[in-house]
Amino acid sequence: MNTPVIPARRRVGLTVSGAWLAAVLAIVAPLSLPFGRPGRPFLTIDGDLYALSVGGPHAWLLLVMLVATGAALGASLLRMPTAERGDIVTLFGAVALLSAILWLVLTSTPFGMGAVATLAALVMVLGNGLSESGRVQGDAFIASSILFVSVFVLLFIIFPLFTVLKSAVFIDGRFDLSVLGATLKHPLFFVLDSTFTERSELNLTLRWAAGGAVAGALLGLVRRVPPSTLAGRVLLMGAIGFVVGVMLYGNGALPTSLAVVCIAAPSCTLLGLVFALLGQRSRLAGVRRSLDVLSILPIITPPFILAFSMIFLLGRRGLITYNVFDLSTNWIYGIPGVAIAQILAFTPVAYLLLRGSLGALNPALEEASQTLGARPWVGLRTITWPLVRPGLAAAFLLSMIESLADFGNPIILGGNRRYLATEVYLSLTGRFTPREAAVYGLVLLGLVLLAFFLQRMWVGGGSFITVTGKPTSGALSPLPRWLEVTLTALLVVWTLFVAALYVSIVVGSFAQLWGVNFTFTTRHYQDFMTAGWPVFLYTARIAALSAVPAMLLGFLVAYLVSRQRFFGRRFVEFGSLLSFATPGTVMGVAYIFAFNTGPWLLTASATIIILALVFRNMPVAIRAAVAGLAQIDPSLEEASTMLRARSFVTMRRVLFPLLVNTLVTGLIFAFVSAMTAVSQVIFLVSPGNQLATVLLLGWVEQGQLGRAAAMGSILIVSMLFVIVVVLAIARRIGSRTVRVTA
Amino acid sequence: MGPAFEAATGHELEFIRLSSQDALARIRAEAASPVFDVWFGGTGDPHLVAAREGLTEFYEPSNWGEIIQDLKDQVGGTYIPLYAGAIGFVVNEDALAGKPNPAGWRDLTDPMYKGLIAMPDPNSSGTAYTIIATLVQIFGEDEAFEILAGIHQNIAQYTTSGAAPGQLAGRGEVAIAVQFMHDGVKFAEQGFPLTVYAPAEGTGYEIGGLSLIANGPNREGAIAFIEWALTPEAQMLAASQGESFQIQSNMNTPVSPLSPRLENIDLIDYDFDRFGTPSVRDELVGRWTNEIFPQPR
Repeated sequence: MNTPVIPARRRVGLTVSGAWLAAVLAIVAPLSLPFGRPGRPFLTIDGDLYALSVGGPHAWLLLVMLVATGAALGASLLRMPTAERGDIVTLFGAVALLSAILWLVLTSTPFGMGAVATLAALVMVLGNGLSESGRVQGDAFIASSILFVSVFVLLFIIFPLFTVLKSAVFIDGRFDLSVLGATLKHPLFFVLDSTFTERSELNLTLRWAAGGAVAGALLGLVRRVPPSTLAGRVLLMGAIGFVVGVMLYGNGALPTSLAVVCIAAPSCTLLGLVFALLGQRSRLAGVRRSLDVLSILPIITPPFILAFSMIFLLGRRGLITYNVFDLSTNWIYGIPGVAIAQILAFTPVAYLLLRGSLGALNPALEEASQTLGARPWVGLRTITWPLVRPGLAAAFLLSMIESLADFGNPIILGGNRRYLATEVYLSLTGRFTPREAAVYGLVLLGLVLLAFFLQRMWVGGGSFITVTGKPTSGALSPLPRWLEVTLTALLVVWTLFVAALYVSIVVGSFAQLWGVNFTFTTRHYQDFMTAGWPVFLYTARIAALSAVPAMLLGFLVAYLVSRQRFFGRRFVEFGSLLSFATPGTVMGVAYIFAFNTGPWLLTASATIIILALVFRNMPVAIRAAVAGLAQIDPSLEEASTMLRARSFVTMRRVLFPLLVNTLVTGLIFAFVSAMTAVSQVIFLVSPGNQLATVLLLGWVEQGQLGRAAAMGSILIVSMLFVIVVVLAIARRIGSRTVRVTA
Repeated sequence: MGPAFEAATGHELEFIRLSSQDALARIRAEAASPVFDVWFGGTGDPHLVAAREGLTEFYEPSNWGEIIQDLKDQVGGTYIPLYAGAIGFVVNEDALAGKPNPAGWRDLTDPMYKGLIAMPDPNSSGTAYTIIATLVQIFGEDEAFEILAGIHQNIAQYTTSGAAPGQLAGRGEVAIAVQFMHDGVKFAEQGFPLTVYAPAEGTGYEIGGLSLIANGPNREGAIAFIEWALTPEAQMLAASQGESFQIQSNMNTPVSPLSPRLENIDLIDYDFDRFGTPSVRDELVGRWTNEIFPQPR
C-alpha cells in the first residue's frame, strides 16, 4: 500500500489563515449596517449612525477599528510561519475589538445591527489568531467559543451584578456606605432585641450560644480531640448556637429567611433521599413508576397556584382544617406555610439529583457486604450512606439556594414576616428605593456564595454538577422491610397531599368563587381565553426561543469546561455558577439597572426577557450536558481528532448524535423552566411583552382566583403534554443510535 | 378599552397592568429612556411623587372644565384626577360570628376583634399609607399612633397589596378589612358575602391619577389618549369593564348605583400636598415600622 508522502516544506507557513473570512465580515458589516441606533427599536436604520458617518470626538475610534481590521485581513493573507502570524492577527483583532467597544461605551450609543455583526466577526478573528499563535491549546472553533462564552458571561452575568453592587455603594458618584448601613440596621432586615418585649432576646440568644459552646466542648472532650481542634469546635458550636438563637428570637428578613432555609433544605434533602431510595430499590414496580411522575409535577407547576391551594385546604376556612377538623387559625401564614410549600416544590429537585447520585453507586460493594453477612440496614448505614454523602451535600446546597431565592411562595403565604427575596421586590415596588433593593440583593447573593464555598470546602469538587457514572453490573440490595414499609407510607401521604392540592386547583378553576361558592361555571376559562390565551401563546414562543440558545450555550460551556483546559476556564465556570446561584429577583433588578441606558440598551423588548431566561436556564442545560458527556469516553473524540477532524466537526458528528437524548431533555427542562419563571422576569415585562406568570400574579393580587386557577390548570396540562410527547420522540430517536459505553 | 380607543382616535393601544408602586418604580428606573407614554390609574400619591421628581408632565386637557372642581383643587397642577375613592371597612358578618360591626376607627381597637382584622402593610402598599395619613389627620399624630397600636393587637395579617384584605374577608379568613371601599364593593359584586361602609369619625380618600410621562416615546398618542380617557364614555367604559366602582372625575360620567357616593360619606379635608411629600411619608411609615410593627401580638 502506498502511503502518500507529504513533502515537509509544503506544509509550513504556506497556508492562509482562517481569519480572513471573519476579517472580511468585520469590514463589510460596519460599512453596510448602522453601528448604533437612535432608540429602543433594534431594526432601525439611521443614516447618522453608520461607522463612517458618525461625528463627535470619539469617531476616530471607529476609524482605528476599520484600519486594524484591514491590517488583520492583510496579515491573515500573508504566507508566513503560523505562530507569528497568529500573534499579529491577534494583536490587530484585539485593537479593533477594543476600539469598537470603547466607542460604544464612551458615546453611550445603543448598539445596532452593525455593532452586533462587527463585534461577533471580530471575536472570530481574535479566536483564529489566538489559536494559530498557539497560546490557546485548541483550534479556531475552540478559541472562538471560549471568547464568545467569556464575553457572554461577562456581559450578561458579571456586568449586571456589578451594576447592582455599584448602585448599592456608589451614591452620586461617591463611595458611600450609608444606604448599605441603614438597610442592614433597619428592623425590616434584622432586629434581635425588641424593645417591646419584656424578655431580652439578646440574652436568650447568648444563652443558646453558650449552650452550643458547652455542647461542643463536651463532645470534643469525650472524643479526646487535640486542644486546637477542641477550641475550633467550641467556637463553631457556639456560633451555631448563636445562629439558632437569632432564628428563634430575631425578626426581619434575614432571620426569617434563614429559619425557612433551615427547615426546608434538610427536609427536602431527606425526603429526596427517601424517594430516591424507594425509586431505586422498592419491591413494588408501581412505586417506582409513580415516583417518576411525582418528581415532574412540581417542576411544571406555575409558582403561586400551589400556595393558593394550600390556603384553600389549610387556611382559616380551609377544607381540611375548618370543614374537617373545625380549626380556625392562621397558622399557615408565615414560616410554617412557606416552609411546607417549599418542601413540596423543591423535594423533586433534590430527588432527581439524588437519584442520579444513587444510580452511580456500584452495587458490587453492597453485594460484598451482604456476602460477608451484614444485614441490609448495616449495609445501608456503612456503605451506601458514606458514598452518597457528596450527592447529599449537592442536594442540600441546591435546596438551600432554591429556598433562599424563592419568591412566589413567600408572596402568598408569607404572613407578616419579611423574606430576603421578596424584600428585593418590595423595596423596589413598595418603597421606591432601588438602592435598598440592591443591598438586599447583595446580601442574598452573599449568603448563596457562602453556602457554595462551605460546601466546596466540605465535599470539594464540582458542586452543582450531577454525578452520574457508567452503568454498573450487579443487583441492588433491597431495603430492610421495616424501612421500606415506613418510607412507602410516607410516599403515600405525600402523594395524597399533592393530589389534593392539584385537584383543588382544578376545582377552583371551575368554581364560581373559589372557597365560597362552588357552583359549576366555565366563566373563568372563557375569561382566560379572551385575556390570557394570547399572553400564554406569547410566553410559549418566548420560552421556546430561549430554550434553544440556553441548551446550545449550555452544551458548549459543558464541552469547553469538561473537555478542554484553557486560560479562563475557572472564570467561565464561576460565571455559570453565578448565573445559577443568583436569585431571580436579584438578576431581574440587575438587568434593569444594567440594560436600561447606555450602549447596552435592551429593556422593554422581548430580547431582554429571552436573555434573562437563557442565562437563568443555562445551568440546567450545562448540568445535563456534563452528565451526558461524562458517560462518553473521550477516546471517541480523540480518534476523531487524530483523523484530522476539526473540533466543530467532532462535536457535530461524534458528540451530538450520542447526546441527543440528553440534549432534548435539557431542552425540555429549559423550556418548562422558562414557562414557569417569574422572579427573573417580573421587572422586565413591558406593553406587548407580557408573560403568563406575571399576568397570573396580577390576577391573584386582584382576587381573580378562578381565572388564575384556569390559567394554572392550562399551564400544567400543556407542559405535561410537551414533556410526555417530546420525551417519547427522544426515546424513539435515542434507541436507534448505538450507545457506546466503555 | 383598547379597541374603543383605536376606534375613536386611530391610535393603537398597548398596555400593561402594574400596581401603582410597581409603576412608579418602573418609571423611575427607566427615567433616562422612558418606555411608557401614559400612566393611567393607580392611587394619587405615586403620581404626586412622580410629578415632583419631574418624571411626568402636567397636561391640561381640553375637557378640563368637566372635571369635578373639588378634585382639581386638591391635586393642584400635578396630575389629572381620574377617579376618587374613599377608605372604609369591608366586613364579613358571618366571620364576625355575632359580634357587632365596628362603627368607627376607635372600635377597631376593641379586644373582641382580636385576630379578625386585616390591613395592608405600609411598607409595600400605598393604601396603607393613606390609612395612616387619614388617622393622623383625624386624631392628630400621637393619638393616631395609639389607635394604630390598638389595631395592631387585633390584626391577623398585614397584606402586601392594598386590595388583599378584602379578599381575605371575603373568604372568611378575617372578618374586617380596612381598605378602599370601591374594592370592597367589587368583591361583594363578585359574590363574596361582604358589607361595605365608612367609619363614623370620618375617612380619607384617594384621587386616582392620569399622568403624561415626560419625554415619552409617543407624546402625540399619549395626549390623544388622555383627551379620550377623560370623556364620559371612556370613563364609563373603564368603570364597567374594569369592574371599578370609584367615582370617575368627569362630572358628566354617570355613577354606578353600587359605587359609594362621596357626598354620603364624611370625608376629611385630606391634605394631599403635605402628605404627598416623600419626607413626611418616610417619617410616618418609618415611625409605624419602628414603633408599631415590632410589637408582639
